[in-house]
Amino acid sequence: MSKIFPKSANALPLQIIIFLGILGGVAAAGITYYATPAYLRVGYQPVQPVPFDHSLHAGQLGMDCRYCHTSVEKSGTSSVPAAQTCMNCHSLIKTTSPLLEVVRQSYTTGEPVPWVKIHQTPDYVYFNHSVHVNRGVSCVECHGKVNEMTVVSHDQPHSMSWCLDCHRNPAERLRDPKDVYNLDSQTLAAQGKLADAQKFVHDWKVKPPQSCSGCHR
Amino acid sequence: MKRKFDHSAPAQRELTGPKYWRSLDELADTPGFREHLAREFPEGASSMEGVDRRQFMKLMAASFALGGLGLAGCRRPEAHILPYGKSVEYTVPGLPLYFATAMPLRKSAIPLLAETHQGRPTKLEGNPSYRPHGGASSLLAQASVLDLYDPERATAHTKKSDTLSATQVNDLLANINKTYAGSGEGLAFLADESASPTRARLVAKLKAQFPKAIWAEYEPVQDEPPVAAAQAAFGRNVKPLYRFAQARRILSLDADFFHAESGALYYSREFAKGRRVTSAADADKMNRLYVAESGFSLTGSMADHRLRVASNHILALTAAIGGQVLETNLLATLAKGLEVNAQWVEQCAKDLLAHRGESLVVAGAHQPVAVHVIAYAMNAKLGNLGKTIDFVEVAPSGASTITALATALKAGSVKTLLVLNGNPAYNAPADLDFGALLKSVPDVIRFGYYNDETSALAGTHLAATHYLESWGDARTVDGTIVPVQPMIMPLFHGLMEVELLARLAGEDKPEAYEQVFATRGGDKKAFEKFLHDGLVEGSAYQTVRVAFDVQRAGAAYAKTPAFVALSKENLEIRFTTDHKMDDGRFANNGWLQECPDPMTKISWDNAILVSPKLAAELGIVPAGSLLQVARKEAAEFYQGRENARVFEVTLNGRTISGPVHIQPGLSNYTIVLPLGYGRTASGHIGTGAGFSAYPLRLSDGLGFATGATLRDTGKRLQLANTQEHWSMEGRDIVREANLDEFKDNPKFVAGIGMESHTPPVLGKDAGKDPAFIATTTPRGNSLYETPNFDGIHQWGMSIDLNTCIGCNACVVACQAENNIPIVGKEQVMRGREMHWIRLDRYYSDGKADAEAFGAEGNKALPEDPQVSMQPMTCQHCELAPCETVCPVNATVHDEEGINVMAYNRCIGTRYCANNCPYKVRRFNFFDYNKRATDALYMGPLGHQSEMPELVKMVKNPDVTVRMRGVMEKCTYCVQRVQQAKIAQKRKAGATGDVVIPDLTIKTACQQVCPVEAIVFGNIKDENSAVSLAKKQERDYAVLGYLNVRPRTTYLGKLRNPNPAMPDYAALPLSRIEYNNKNHPAHGDDHGQGHEAKPGGHE
Repeated sequence: MSKIFPKSANALPLQIIIFLGILGGVAAAGITYYATPAYLRVGYQPVQPVPFDHSLHAGQLGMDCRYCHTSVEKSGTSSVPAAQTCMNCHSLIKTTSPLLEVVRQSYTTGEPVPWVKIHQTPDYVYFNHSVHVNRGVSCVECHGKVNEMTVVSHDQPHSMSWCLDCHRNPAERLRDPKDVYNLDSQTLAAQGKLADAQKFVHDWKVKPPQSCSGCHR
Repeated sequence: MKRKFDHSAPAQRELTGPKYWRSLDELADTPGFREHLAREFPEGASSMEGVDRRQFMKLMAASFALGGLGLAGCRRPEAHILPYGKSVEYTVPGLPLYFATAMPLRKSAIPLLAETHQGRPTKLEGNPSYRPHGGASSLLAQASVLDLYDPERATAHTKKSDTLSATQVNDLLANINKTYAGSGEGLAFLADESASPTRARLVAKLKAQFPKAIWAEYEPVQDEPPVAAAQAAFGRNVKPLYRFAQARRILSLDADFFHAESGALYYSREFAKGRRVTSAADADKMNRLYVAESGFSLTGSMADHRLRVASNHILALTAAIGGQVLETNLLATLAKGLEVNAQWVEQCAKDLLAHRGESLVVAGAHQPVAVHVIAYAMNAKLGNLGKTIDFVEVAPSGASTITALATALKAGSVKTLLVLNGNPAYNAPADLDFGALLKSVPDVIRFGYYNDETSALAGTHLAATHYLESWGDARTVDGTIVPVQPMIMPLFHGLMEVELLARLAGEDKPEAYEQVFATRGGDKKAFEKFLHDGLVEGSAYQTVRVAFDVQRAGAAYAKTPAFVALSKENLEIRFTTDHKMDDGRFANNGWLQECPDPMTKISWDNAILVSPKLAAELGIVPAGSLLQVARKEAAEFYQGRENARVFEVTLNGRTISGPVHIQPGLSNYTIVLPLGYGRTASGHIGTGAGFSAYPLRLSDGLGFATGATLRDTGKRLQLANTQEHWSMEGRDIVREANLDEFKDNPKFVAGIGMESHTPPVLGKDAGKDPAFIATTTPRGNSLYETPNFDGIHQWGMSIDLNTCIGCNACVVACQAENNIPIVGKEQVMRGREMHWIRLDRYYSDGKADAEAFGAEGNKALPEDPQVSMQPMTCQHCELAPCETVCPVNATVHDEEGINVMAYNRCIGTRYCANNCPYKVRRFNFFDYNKRATDALYMGPLGHQSEMPELVKMVKNPDVTVRMRGVMEKCTYCVQRVQQAKIAQKRKAGATGDVVIPDLTIKTACQQVCPVEAIVFGNIKDENSAVSLAKKQERDYAVLGYLNVRPRTTYLGKLRNPNPAMPDYAALPLSRIEYNNKNHPAHGDDHGQGHEAKPGGHE
């Protein structure tokens, strides 16, 4: 047979393998870094129709989260408040501010304020707030320091693996139930009271579901 | 390192943005906007001078659209949260609200609790405060919620082709009031029957205002015994209320009290109380049911002794039994011609006489007056009055009949006719020719929910509201007054019936709410309690003492219908109320159309049911392949589709045609025609489904008629039959025993089936309680690891086959709760129906035998079989064969024993459905939710690419709506389980009391079951209802020998036959078949059973 390939072609298979390996590695790394919720979601900070400032209301003024997000203790959703809740104060305070025009319109006409949804889970995931906040998981664990946010941004990835990190080891992320709405408080573990946290998990029978039925219905 | 978006740029836009809500003009004047525009369109800006308004608007719209796209939500599609403007009372977002209401049906109603999500009802449950129903509801009630969201309901009031506004309708009604004031001459009403106190009050007012007006009421199906019978027997206007729970011996004379009789829900529940056996100790309390009927009803399927008698011959049979019970031969002439085993009659009568005061004779509502009178006489003689049968006084309705109205219409004396609900053009007796009569009336105003056959003939159509969006009231079968309150504002501005009547009567406050409030007495607190409880305590009809009046009763026998000898040329037609369509009102309800008929298992169609004997005489018994065991129809079921012959039925010169289905168990020369199909104007689901039997029905033969003939047209029609294989073929799927055997050998289930002859499936742990087995028994070292069942609860279910009546309510309840789509007739013919729970119905006649191929016993269709019903759902096997084969681990087991389906992970391999021994997994072959059922194969190119908005509203938000390509199955209502666990944990706090109390969670099927056959709960709790059920001796697992360890187990069925009866069999026929198949050589120990011993039999 005549020689089709030059001798240097002998190195080709190895080169191809190495190239594919590097390509695969780069692709995997790229996807892992850029195409996972940790990158895609964290930092999402859309413009809201009303420039509501949590750092002012929840931070400076010290309003409890539950004043507006009323159903968080009872139901699966922590509801965004109706315009009526805003008007509780703003019918007396800043009554003519142009920033609140949308809220006033909503209150009078009933048309909802089109808040942009930041934290979204897919339709096949059923997350329930009430069972978390009533059992020692603070708002800040998942939503970050909302009381310091001027505009709310997505603080944590909210990927399934991130949820499971806590579900597999709840003791590290729990705090005293009375501290749940105090976003400046610390988890029991951070205060060095991990043993207390573990006792809490034992006494309260905290057994976060780890099988699919916990969230997928 | 994160991408940072420059969201800060349009500071001006933030200031000017909200303002564009007001008006674009206003915005155009602000300096910020002008600058913005200048930046966006530099060239355009200069051409803004002198541009006209239209172009200006176009440019503005375009720029704002671009602005919206460019500056926000670049990363992913923006979703919005839309809260209320003003908060709504009681509403907690995310939690459902429950309201009490009721579903009226003819003269009774079912009290309900409607579960509403965000102001719309998604699921209906029975109201547990109403104790006779105990929180159960019926098949029809479960499906009625879908009707509310039917896109083909009437959405506007119309007159000829113009739409009427609400004011115009009010004027129209006020006009009628004025025109006919004082006399009412020329005014007529044709309404459906109702027990509503408000309606009765308003009708009385109407009659007072329009004394000469005709008020006629018509229902195509009669579900209450004729009033004339009570008048003849007792001289009073009373109706019977049966107390089945107190009865030990029940004789049904063509009475289907599980379904067709008024109060069927109540009677089923009470009957089950008498049927239920929890241990051998109280086995003697079990009741015994004798049924004589022409069709094969659910009541007949529960019978311990069943006699196939034509409906026309029931009178003779009643006279024969009556003669024995009443110890008289005055009825002998009536009994002439009856060809029935005399011993059957004699022994049945003897059994009734041996149980005075605890027996019950029930006659079917459609039977002639004489049958009822004799039945009342028997009950009186047996001392049942006041014990197993109560009589309640009902006010006479005072309404005319449709026949009287027809006479008036023919005479031309009616100028204005109001048709309220019903559908007389479709279901009026054929001899009245009501359609033509409607056309002859100058002004017909039709008040109806659909634009149906009657609306087509009416000049004006007023769109009615659904009961879930109406104010009203009703009475249950025992007379308890229940409210009908709206869950949602009328979706299409329909008119409520109460308001219509009030406006006609010229009431001051015609709003339906005001009228119902006034009927209740106008006391606000009492009314609120009424709405909250869902009933008025103590408002039931008063029971009265009656005495049978022999003299007066004698008159009833004078006009009895003649006994007709039947043959192939002189057939009897039995018109039955269909299980699902009722009288035809639910024709456009997809859930009901697709739910298979409990006995024939046909969906989307009705069929002419003929007995096997008649089929043989007609020559249409299929000559099928003999390789199929006990499946004679093989040739007629090509690729699983029933290829039915189309026959013509002729009665009194009228002819209809329809597909013929051979139904075992029918009286020889009776053909059954289910009513309610063959609608011509019913929306795309109802139109064309089945054939209408109404054209054959005459006023004197509403329940049954004789003199019919059949003729083969030579054509064929394919029927969607979901279960063509009716035989258990000698397997132990349903384990049955007679009561006597159960008393001797309570653990008879252990002697049946593979487990009785193999080493114990669970080894040394056999017989331990389910919770122990779940946690401790070794699993067999499979490579596939199942989780440790260390959850706080362990879920399990027990289904009592002894009480299950096969009503199919669980099928539709599951469909409503879990967003199960309908697939259409084509797909059902391919076996792709999506029901998560199915009712398997088996016939046994004792003849199937061991020689599977070619044996004689397997070739004939049974003429007089016993029926066994078995609800079959995902068994949640602890060692599930479906879990091990999923390549992507989409179906796993959770720690509490539920076999879970993660829809998002499923890639549609379907290996799990292949591996499931129970075949309970359903695959979404198409996007059944989004696509129309007749355009599935077209996909997004079909005529429907999205679920209609209205239909989306019925979906339960707590359950995923599945898309094409995903497997689904029963989840033990995991959403209810999780909600209950969450609620419990929320409450528990520091107490650590996270175990849910028993019966807090009821699966949808359990909640709806009228006879409480399904029990679900925590098997770890040894006192829970399900643990107690599983501890019963009759507990067994279907296909248990496979060692899949199902969490759903069954309680064996018991039959209570009378040894003195001629058709007594020492074993249930399915057991005889089982013995034929499995113990052919044993000779003399047939029927003795085997003592279950570990290590096999000796």
